[in-house]
Amino acid sequence: MLGRGGSGGGIAGLSRRGFLAAAAGAAVAAALPQAAPRRRLLQMNGYPIDAETPLDLLTTYLTPNDLFFVRHHWNPVFPDSAAWTLTVDGEVERPLTLSLADLKKMPQATATCVLQCAGNGRALHRPIVPGVQWTYGAVGNARWSGVRVRDVLARAGVKAGARHLHTFGTDKPPEKVPPFHRSIEIEKILEDGLIALTMNGEPLPQLHGGPARLVVPGWAGDHWMKWLDRISPQASPQTGFYMDVAYRYPRTPGEPGVAFKAEEMSPVTELFVKSNITEAPARATRGRAVTIRGFALSGAPHVAKVEVTDDGGATWAEALLGKDDDPHAWRLWSFPYTPKAAGRVTLRARATDERGSIQPKDAVWNQSGYLYNGWPSAEIEVGA
Amino acid sequence: MRVRARAAAVGGLVLAAALLLGQATAGSTRDEALPVLGSELGDFPAGALKPLAEQACFHCHSADMVKQQRLTEKQWTAEITKMVGWGAVVPEDQRAALIAYLFEHFGPDNDRFHPVVAKPLGR
Repeated sequence: MLGRGGSGGGIAGLSRRGFLAAAAGAAVAAALPQAAPRRRLLQMNGYPIDAETPLDLLTTYLTPNDLFFVRHHWNPVFPDSAAWTLTVDGEVERPLTLSLADLKKMPQATATCVLQCAGNGRALHRPIVPGVQWTYGAVGNARWSGVRVRDVLARAGVKAGARHLHTFGTDKPPEKVPPFHRSIEIEKILEDGLIALTMNGEPLPQLHGGPARLVVPGWAGDHWMKWLDRISPQASPQTGFYMDVAYRYPRTPGEPGVAFKAEEMSPVTELFVKSNITEAPARATRGRAVTIRGFALSGAPHVAKVEVTDDGGATWAEALLGKDDDPHAWRLWSFPYTPKAAGRVTLRARATDERGSIQPKDAVWNQSGYLYNGWPSAEIEVGA
Repeated sequence: MRVRARAAAVGGLVLAAALLLGQATAGSTRDEALPVLGSELGDFPAGALKPLAEQACFHCHSADMVKQQRLTEKQWTAEITKMVGWGAVVPEDQRAALIAYLFEHFGPDNDRFHPVVAKPLGR
């Protein structure tokens, strides 16, 4: 599948695919198999813009800004960087209003980490669930730089008793749609939260929340508030649709297709351990090695290993991990595979993180389709 | 079938796409044959309910959001109930017909949606 040197037909071999994946495969096939893949995004919605990255473009440690997936809840009115300010209020000793210039004067920090939409892979859940039908590419890895949230909150002086950081952005919902107001446990945001002003060394693109967005390493994208304009420590969590109904995940697995009650779910926080296959040839020859590649990520800071099976999970062989390895970043991997027999073979991959969490064969079904992390697969036609 | 953004703008809707289009990098070396991200929009299937679907949906999102769904009648009913609560204009006496139209075209066997292969915007 997706092979730079292959026929381009392979993604159709991905099991568990939906028609969207097949569509993505068709797009891949349209790209010249011998040339560099065409720089493109797969647009899911014209407005608000939602677009994912084709898997064959997710082969570099850092995902280029223009190829990074885009997810907007509604049509944003982009802030004017010159007039933009960040308000810090709530349970603080000294409420602040900071300009972009103010933030740039503060100590700058960098985090290289994965941003993945909570709903990435939604189209792969069965039974089918509503929402943007992301397949594989609502994920990317970038180098984010800006100001640590803890440094900003230290200037404001957080009062004892503040347990949650309420976060707000400038995008306003239409009609009676509830606002996208969120909160994060204060311990997490003080640990490694970042107010990002740059992405891969460039000013944070407006499309991705510029001039400033939250970066919450290891946590799903719903926490990474775009067009951030206010942070407010509070004693209690934020309330509202995007806290109490959306972005919640079952505490224990249930029967697929049976909706969980609100009290059976908790907010989506950390990402789940997951690998994807980004490159594999559609065809190979028995006894001749080919290379399979992919990426792996987790809510744990580091991925420990990636394994590949060609017998449905009965036996696994370890892949080679790439040298780039930042906390909460993804890890590229490669696997030299030598087919032992002619015929059609299905390769599957699974990642294990440093905490020992292993990517499951099947993801836990939930009615909103969050955090899909079932084994990815690729089919190869092996000739004699 | 897809239409260009301008043709699908209804009710004075200001598309974010229009703002974004102005940001495409000048002198881009990318494949000019692809439509720019956000410039191409899906269209609802022909039928008596098409104008109502447009009226109900287009104020907040393009038809693409609807066309990629594969929902049961029960799921469509829940979606329309939610959207009406959020301000979608659907007269009470036409709600059942709209749900039937959506279920007919975008039910569980819907396999007609394809993402637009789009040219990225500037970095």
